[in-house]
Amino acid sequence: MSGIFDSIGDHNPKRSFLSRRQFWMEAGMGIGGLALIDLLSQDRLLAAETTPAPAACLSTGDAAGSPLVPKPPHFKPRAKAVISLFMSGGVSHLDTFQYKPALEKYNRLPMEGKGEIKVRQGYPGPLMQSPFSFKQYGNSGAWVSEIFPNIATMVDDLAFVHSCQGASNDHVISHYEWNTGSVQMGFPSVGSWITYGLGSVNQNLPGFVVLMDQKGAPYAGPPNWAAGFLPAAYQGTVFRSKGDPILDLSAPSGYMTPDRERARLDQMAKLNESFDEKYPGISELSARISSYELAYRMQACAPEAVDLAKESDETKKLYGLDDPASAGYGRQCLLARRLIERGVRFVQVINGAYLSGEDTWDAHANINTNHRRHAREVDRPITGLITDLKRRGLLDETVVLWHSEFGRMPISQRGVGRDHNPGAMTVFMTGAGIDGGQHIGRSDDLGYKAEEQPVTNHDLHATLLHLLGIDHKRLTFYFNGRNMRLTDVSGELIPQIARDKQPKA
Amino acid sequence: MMREAIRRVTPGLRGVAVLGIAIYCLAQNRQVSGNQVSDKEVLPIVQRCFQCHGPTLRMSNLDLRTREGMLKGGTHGPALVPGDAERSLLYQRIAGLQLPLMPMPPVQALNPREIGLIKDWINQGAPWTASTPASTAASTPTSTNGGGYKEKAITDQDRQWWAFRKPVRYPAPAVVDARWRRNPIDAFINKAMDEKGLQPAPEADRRTLIRRAYLDLVGLLPPAAEVDAFAKDPSPKAYDDLIERLLASPNYGERWGRNWLDVVRYADSSGFEYDLTVDNAWRYRDYVIKAFNDDKPYDRFVIEQLAGDELDQPTYDSLTATTLYRIGPRVRFREKNYPSYRYDYMDDMIRTTYQGFMGLSVNCARCHDHKFDPITRLDYFRSMAAFWGYVDYDHPLAPKARVDEYESIKRQLEKEITPLQQGVARIEAPYRAKQREQQIQNALKTFPADIQAAIRTPEAERTPGQKLLVAQVLINPEDVNPDMITVDLEASAKARARAKAEDVFGVTNNRYGARPLPLNKEDEARRAPLLAKIQEMVDRLPPPLPTADGVRDGDYRLAPDGQGDSHIPGTGRPVYNLKCCFVPEPGQAYQAPPLYFAATGEDIQADEKTFLVQPGFLKVLSNATPPPNGMPAATHPPNRTDYATSGRRRALAEAIASKDNPLTARVMVNRIWGWHFGRGIVATPGNFGRMGMAPSHPELLDWLATEFVRQGWSVKQIHRLIMTSETYKMASAFYQAADLEKDPTGVYLWRFPVRRLEAEIIRDAMLDASGSLNREAGGPPFFPSIPVTLRADQPRGVWELTKEGPDTWRRSVYAYVKRGLKYPMFEVFDLPDLNITCERRTVTTVPTQALTMLNNEFTLMQADRFAKRVLSEAGTDRERQVKTMYRIAFSRDPAPRELANNLAFLKKQTGPTAGSGADQAALTDLAHVVLNLNEFVYIQ
Repeated sequence: MSGIFDSIGDHNPKRSFLSRRQFWMEAGMGIGGLALIDLLSQDRLLAAETTPAPAACLSTGDAAGSPLVPKPPHFKPRAKAVISLFMSGGVSHLDTFQYKPALEKYNRLPMEGKGEIKVRQGYPGPLMQSPFSFKQYGNSGAWVSEIFPNIATMVDDLAFVHSCQGASNDHVISHYEWNTGSVQMGFPSVGSWITYGLGSVNQNLPGFVVLMDQKGAPYAGPPNWAAGFLPAAYQGTVFRSKGDPILDLSAPSGYMTPDRERARLDQMAKLNESFDEKYPGISELSARISSYELAYRMQACAPEAVDLAKESDETKKLYGLDDPASAGYGRQCLLARRLIERGVRFVQVINGAYLSGEDTWDAHANINTNHRRHAREVDRPITGLITDLKRRGLLDETVVLWHSEFGRMPISQRGVGRDHNPGAMTVFMTGAGIDGGQHIGRSDDLGYKAEEQPVTNHDLHATLLHLLGIDHKRLTFYFNGRNMRLTDVSGELIPQIARDKQPKA
Repeated sequence: MMREAIRRVTPGLRGVAVLGIAIYCLAQNRQVSGNQVSDKEVLPIVQRCFQCHGPTLRMSNLDLRTREGMLKGGTHGPALVPGDAERSLLYQRIAGLQLPLMPMPPVQALNPREIGLIKDWINQGAPWTASTPASTAASTPTSTNGGGYKEKAITDQDRQWWAFRKPVRYPAPAVVDARWRRNPIDAFINKAMDEKGLQPAPEADRRTLIRRAYLDLVGLLPPAAEVDAFAKDPSPKAYDDLIERLLASPNYGERWGRNWLDVVRYADSSGFEYDLTVDNAWRYRDYVIKAFNDDKPYDRFVIEQLAGDELDQPTYDSLTATTLYRIGPRVRFREKNYPSYRYDYMDDMIRTTYQGFMGLSVNCARCHDHKFDPITRLDYFRSMAAFWGYVDYDHPLAPKARVDEYESIKRQLEKEITPLQQGVARIEAPYRAKQREQQIQNALKTFPADIQAAIRTPEAERTPGQKLLVAQVLINPEDVNPDMITVDLEASAKARARAKAEDVFGVTNNRYGARPLPLNKEDEARRAPLLAKIQEMVDRLPPPLPTADGVRDGDYRLAPDGQGDSHIPGTGRPVYNLKCCFVPEPGQAYQAPPLYFAATGEDIQADEKTFLVQPGFLKVLSNATPPPNGMPAATHPPNRTDYATSGRRRALAEAIASKDNPLTARVMVNRIWGWHFGRGIVATPGNFGRMGMAPSHPELLDWLATEFVRQGWSVKQIHRLIMTSETYKMASAFYQAADLEKDPTGVYLWRFPVRRLEAEIIRDAMLDASGSLNREAGGPPFFPSIPVTLRADQPRGVWELTKEGPDTWRRSVYAYVKRGLKYPMFEVFDLPDLNITCERRTVTTVPTQALTMLNNEFTLMQADRFAKRVLSEAGTDRERQVKTMYRIAFSRDPAPRELANNLAFLKKQTGPTAGSGADQAALTDLAHVVLNLNEFVYIQ
């Protein structure tokens, strides 16, 4: 790396790029070593080992002209950031967090009195009880099935919504529905809306990062994190688990050494400046110069953000990195925490890869084997993430949302699987001062359809925006003759989540 | 004539919302004889009566939609006496035998043949066997979600909105300064500038002008030699000649066709889960490019895209134009199980059509009257009714004789293959049975005890729950009865091609296909010759004819099953009791399927509880005199001899492309203006309603619109006018503090606005600079190279892995456009959303763009090649190298300071160990720098 540090630009310092040397010096690092200074407030870190980021990677940088410049919320926010834990394929609410004794009672009998049963595959089967045993946990007495033994230990921190209801039993359409607010293709994702609304405090990293299942992309792929009709700047950036985290973060081998890149950047800045002098008052042009500076910083900051070398064994174990089954999702969850620490606004961590149904939660074939497998992949990582956020003081300003695209049927598919069911689904939220131990809404006795306080995607999204200090009716973008909203023309806050924390009785 | 008839006969009818103006009953070519007449033949005729005796209106308390209704009759008694036409009021009235003397129906009297048909039918006892649209529609018009809807009146004030009034051709303002007098555009622009007290920029220098004109009109860099010649040319006509040359260049269509593709939300794949390729989407893309190059009159361009199949004499081009309907976002999986999809596709078409051609957001009225514009929910459904008949249809682009020949060969082969396939299936049958048995055995092993018990329980003794279980486990929808096998060679060829294309991903996508079945030696020996023979036959099928993925009128409810379509109960698939036909055969009548107000397709029965909607145009744009929803052209249905079509889409298209339409010409000239200047006269080109922006130069907009029509809707003529104006030729590098203060965003055009090139043009310009551009035009799309990891983000559909090279160095407009996975370089540079018509691309500046321009292999490769090109053109002299580079990329020589600076840079980059390798590396450094500069990616 030594060559990099020998070519400091000699041009106008006002607009100069930081040389890599200056960069790491500012970051408080010696040239030889990587001794990072502690930039985070100490009280937040008392409970955990420190993993601070270099100052240069935390600085706001020159955000002028950037579409990601931080913007004030509508009102005092409860949280600054969101971690969405998205379980692709459709988690069965009936085999995780909704215990339905009626399913045991009526096991293997036809489901009656619920109208036409609309299945996705094959013929409707008879009712099926969960293959898993349920127990009650915590002071709140939440029912949790045996496949989430770790999440079960923290139910008093979680607010469950048992009455989420969707519009479609198609995977991809439902992915759009819950990730973008519309069943149509092409609408901006939740993360895009939020970064559009609030910008990002750290210009050295993307404001909206997607961490896919290490096995591959979820159903629907990129439209899940697309910016739709919002400017492209707000689309989610996929952080890849192999090689460079960001596409084109570094040049492919054989084309350009780092020192030549440095020299090229310096020359660009110089020439651009003399061009821009002809166009005073056109901020687009100077913003483009800044964007190269930011890109250069990103080349250093993104690898730093995903480098787990400084994380302790204890932390890694907390996230389940010691178990091959959970190591993949555990790593992504740990990255999510690191990104949030570094000021990323919205991180989506996906479990489930659309290679086959079995690589997602799409348990048509067998609830037992499918859900056991995926629960094992995520149970410790999710518990570890929430625990870690909490002990670092990050949970108070972060919303964690665990969700999926739909629930599953109370009737069986070929006796052991379950088909798609948009009628009912459980999600949980924590952080941001949300009252834990709550159980909001209820599905019917069989768990076929949401019955009490049904919650739509718009309601959930409105509530999420509310926690970030955004009024979902005021976050609009003019497009094709209309002020578009994430929540279209609906969306009611979920009062039990939107309200401030209640004093403990 | 029609208006006359209505005025004379029934003044009260004027207010009636629903006129069957676009229903044409083309049951012609059939001589009345003693043959049995069926209700299916009668219905299309009787349906014309429904406008007054049907779902919305029951004049004289008469409802003619069912046989029962006819028997019951109305105020004047029963309409039908089966077996006795002479005594039936229905016949008496249509034949004009009864007072009042008005042959019914008054709007479009029946011809003698039709009257004869009805007479025969009644005399034969008026049989009413089939379940027809009318009889299923017979419920009373009480409604659920559309209930009690009363269309609001359109007021004069509504009609006074500027965009709904016809453009007025204002005379160009008088201008003192000779510079601003030559072109009417300048007079309007200059007047506005004067009023604002703005000081205009001088004319740009010639090098700037030629680079601007090239990038703007053809999206490529001007060749250095041409720049020099132009800069030196003393002729005052030099610039006008340049514009003429560029307008004649085939590259013009590639550049401006791409702009149009934004408007029509073009993509090569359909999106959603499977992201299937629209096989011939590229033919539409080529059609658009050709239309621009040929300067196809815009009114014709509009009509061809909306109704190219409904012209009296369709052409290959006009059929291809209807691919417009196919390139939108489409699920293309289990569409028959999800009837609501069709309504979403209609919404897509209504949105694209009205925003694209007329700048109106009619789609806002899907669930309620428009909140801001005088567009009613019924307007929305009238518009939907205009589209409602269309079905996806692959038009062969070949002479009829060749099509017939191909079809007959295919049918013959299919006929011969069918018994062979059945033979194979019979040989395989015992194996399949065994396979099923094996599956059952496996099931018994793997399933819980109670399912095993259910399977073992004799059928008669199974509980209801056990029956469901057994049905799920044992009934295989893929079970084949050998005798039922039918062969569709073309479909299977397509399926194979698709599977092959998708296999490029290394993902087995053929989830619904059959696997080869292993047999024992003896049976294998019996099967092998059959398979060989089948293969031999298949090979005899000539290559498929070129086709346009277009549309024509038909009945969507009878569409052949598509991918994933399933007849299994519980899948929500509606059952329609219809016998005929997906598309009408030659000589057959055509009747568009019924469309109900406020229908959504979510619940077919509930939908039918509202009233039927007839096609019509937006009420606010129809004259106050009848017909209230007039589509002017609807009075002359397509004059076709090959097959029947309703003419509804053509009527709509002609209403849009009419010179009397106040919006269409304005919207298009405004788009052209916006693409030239980065901002339209109306800054919201897709919205001319109340939520849109007011025009900055209303009189100029109107002048251009009227001129557009006057010039035969010639797009090139508008380019000529704009580009030869002083307004267009102004310098961009011009600064007046006072101007900037008064008009900071340059709305009044006191200087030419600089603007960043679009994603595709940045890439094309890089290829052009490096000398690598492959100018091959048209044809199937190419796949730009993307990393394997990225390809895995959307494993469905197609993206062939390629290596960067001449094959991928074609113009960007020819790149495959995949809804599920955008090409990253285009995506970061603000490629618009591919699902919704785009009125204007956004321009954002973000670090990921810089990363692409710095590190993407494509960019680095082009930098390398650019350097090599410069080396070969300029030799090793550093000064000449820098100059050559600047002349290629910026169409100018470097200023002395720039030259010195760049020479110093090259020297430093070459380092102490000078040699050809080091020299070239330094030159590559500079080439990469140049491609990244603002000056390279901005039009000045």
